[in-house]
Amino acid sequence: MSESTNDLPLEGIRVFELGIAIASPFCGKLMAHFGADVIKIESRVSPDVVRMLGSAWVREREDLAAVAPDTSPYVPEMNASKRSVGLELKTDAGRDAALRLIAECDVFLANFGARALTDLGLDYESVAAVNPKIIYVQLPGFGSDPEMPYYSFVAWGPNQAPLVGLDDFTGHASDPPAGIATVAPPDYMSALHAAIATLSGLEHRELTGEGVHVDISQFETTLALLGPFVMDYDLTGTVHSRIGNHSLWGAPQGVYPCLGHERWVAITATDTQSWEILSSLIGTVGEEFADPDLRMDQREALDEQIAAWTSNFDAHDLAHRLQTLGVAAHVVATNEDILHDTHTMSRDWYQVAPHTRLGRDVFSGCAVKLSDTPGQWANAGPSMGEHTREVLKDVLGMSDDEISDLVTANGAFEQAEPETRVPRPWNDWIHLLVPGVDDARDL
Amino acid sequence: MAGPYEGIRVVDTTGLAGAYATRLFAGLGAEVIRLEPPQGSPLRTLAPFAESIAPPENSLWWSYLGMGTRSVVIDPDDRDSLAKILSDADVVFEDRLPEHSPITAEFLSGETIRTTIVPFGLTGPKRSWKTSNLVAWAASGVLYTTGFQDKPPIAPAGHVQLALHASAASALVGTLLALRSKRKSGRGQEVEVSMHEAALAIAPETGVPIFLDDRVHRERSGNRRDLGRPFGLYPCSDGFVSIIVLMPRHWAAMAQWVAETTDNETIVEEVFQDLAVRMETKELIDTWVEELTLNHTRLELFTEGQRRGIPITPVNTVNALVDDPHLKAAEYWSQTELADSSAVTVPGAPFRTNNDWWNMTPAPLLGQHTDFYLG
Repeated sequence: MSESTNDLPLEGIRVFELGIAIASPFCGKLMAHFGADVIKIESRVSPDVVRMLGSAWVREREDLAAVAPDTSPYVPEMNASKRSVGLELKTDAGRDAALRLIAECDVFLANFGARALTDLGLDYESVAAVNPKIIYVQLPGFGSDPEMPYYSFVAWGPNQAPLVGLDDFTGHASDPPAGIATVAPPDYMSALHAAIATLSGLEHRELTGEGVHVDISQFETTLALLGPFVMDYDLTGTVHSRIGNHSLWGAPQGVYPCLGHERWVAITATDTQSWEILSSLIGTVGEEFADPDLRMDQREALDEQIAAWTSNFDAHDLAHRLQTLGVAAHVVATNEDILHDTHTMSRDWYQVAPHTRLGRDVFSGCAVKLSDTPGQWANAGPSMGEHTREVLKDVLGMSDDEISDLVTANGAFEQAEPETRVPRPWNDWIHLLVPGVDDARDL
Repeated sequence: MAGPYEGIRVVDTTGLAGAYATRLFAGLGAEVIRLEPPQGSPLRTLAPFAESIAPPENSLWWSYLGMGTRSVVIDPDDRDSLAKILSDADVVFEDRLPEHSPITAEFLSGETIRTTIVPFGLTGPKRSWKTSNLVAWAASGVLYTTGFQDKPPIAPAGHVQLALHASAASALVGTLLALRSKRKSGRGQEVEVSMHEAALAIAPETGVPIFLDDRVHRERSGNRRDLGRPFGLYPCSDGFVSIIVLMPRHWAAMAQWVAETTDNETIVEEVFQDLAVRMETKELIDTWVEELTLNHTRLELFTEGQRRGIPITPVNTVNALVDDPHLKAAEYWSQTELADSSAVTVPGAPFRTNNDWWNMTPAPLLGQHTDFYLG
């Protein structure tokens, strides 16, 4: 029973996105899922890093070099449901078209460096001059104030977590910091804060009729998660640092070995009830661990006893048994475990949507679920420049000739080889890998 | 003006799973009421504690995450008071499955937004499973890929509780979207966040689409990665720095820096410009880089490396962050008051605007606002 009041929350909102990698694009993907028209501005001269990654199977295919930027699985992970417009902002014609587009947008979202935006003439003052009601949200590494010491510094990806203290908190106390190698929590936390700031900005505009400038220094944003540790340092001089997988709030908590090569189970049994269940299962735990303070004091010895017990079991079986009895536990999942996880698949976490280059593609869904206005996926990420002509025509009213002139002048570009369609090698098996998807042969 | 959500009344019954969300909400103007049982919120039991203050006002987690909010104590069996406090709520935050929640449908009008943050979501075979920060990272694939090879996998910044804060921030995004929908429809709705999915969402690197594409079983590799050299953490005179050299121009600047400071003429030889050669000789490259880094502090290496255009950052510790010259100059740090009126340093607003949205009062005492709302 869909009514017009069930419009998606961001229906009618247009976003001009200058995004690289994660911090802006992940925020833009969220907004696109909930109805915003997110226009990802792309450059061939300096492409988004996810365009340069390509796909593993395309790497050996020289005949597909021109379309490789459309094939990275990270493209839909960060850009599903957006439109892609190719504009070269360092050309006068490209920048002029961008400013005309900005005049028709509600939100400007960018994680270019602050100095790069100023050099492009797309700092807040310049953008507000063409659109005073814009919600301008920028995510520079160190803020947009040129007077500040690190203004011109660069920190991205794997350098962010160490910068904001997360790496020092990661690892065993006796080891060097282990580092957070594969993921970039600061990028995602900045993206979520950018979404919160954008929605707050739209609310502000509803109330006042005015635009707003939001400056998200990624350095500062992630630090907001360290509150209690900053306070304790100020009060007592204590420098909190890594403590393995232990908890400050009770024991046991840890990652314990199971049967098989590199199989582990994570268990948190820090509350009394969980501990009683766990200890009765183990059966042989000494009386010295009956008291919660003693469990904390002797947590290393306790870990050894638990590890001796867990190593008799299959990790999946043990996690299932513990959870059935009420103890928080999970197999330490590999990417292959996630592929076979019936829970993840039953919730349709992985989504499949149309893709102009690949036919269709798989990508992660959205952790935010709304009951009455659920988000939608229009596409599995745009091809580079796929919507250049469509957007310049529909939004700016440019004629085909004007657009072609802009392309000829290298101010804009369109999708390369639109006729080339290359399904992924595993396209025919998507319905087996991601339940709930139609068999390709039925399409 | 005040924050854009001034006038929105929020009732929060969660613990750590929602606390960061309602803290932010309060900073943006919302009137956030935390419902506490007579013994106090579970947040009040979390170390570290302020030594000079007695329970239940001594938890620094409470003092931080409770900032900007109000405390109303309600006995779990007191349904009249619960009905009264919920009658004017625009938003309710919960961290329990519906069958375990004291808030039943008759308490809420059709205009209320009900935001629920639960371990594995409201559906699916694991819906009743419990979680923790560690368990959420285990289920997301991130835990398996973090740590040294000869040690068990390790949670990223375990006691910072990142996975829970990511869940909370996602829940606030959903809540603000639902408020925007309500502007059009006049109706509330349900917002659901699975803490498992909030962690999966920020870890596509260990997720299924990437695995299907490259079939690489990602393993933990300690604090350096074989994507480039130098790449990862390197020891220095007062800790570690993080160096990420992938691009040719970054290597050229890095090699030049090592050559100038350690009289190493070999490192600038043309052969090392080839990433494949650097990977084959990675132990040698790492040794040469350490000859530079070990003789300088984090801050020296950070400022000089950045001046040379090299992607390098300090591996900051809490004390280094509090003393950081940029954060001081930017007046990032703020202050709050503990229960004994003593002042303490806290992180400031997580983002800045050209309007004065952000406003934070100290965390409330247990039941400080009970009379105001129920008296």
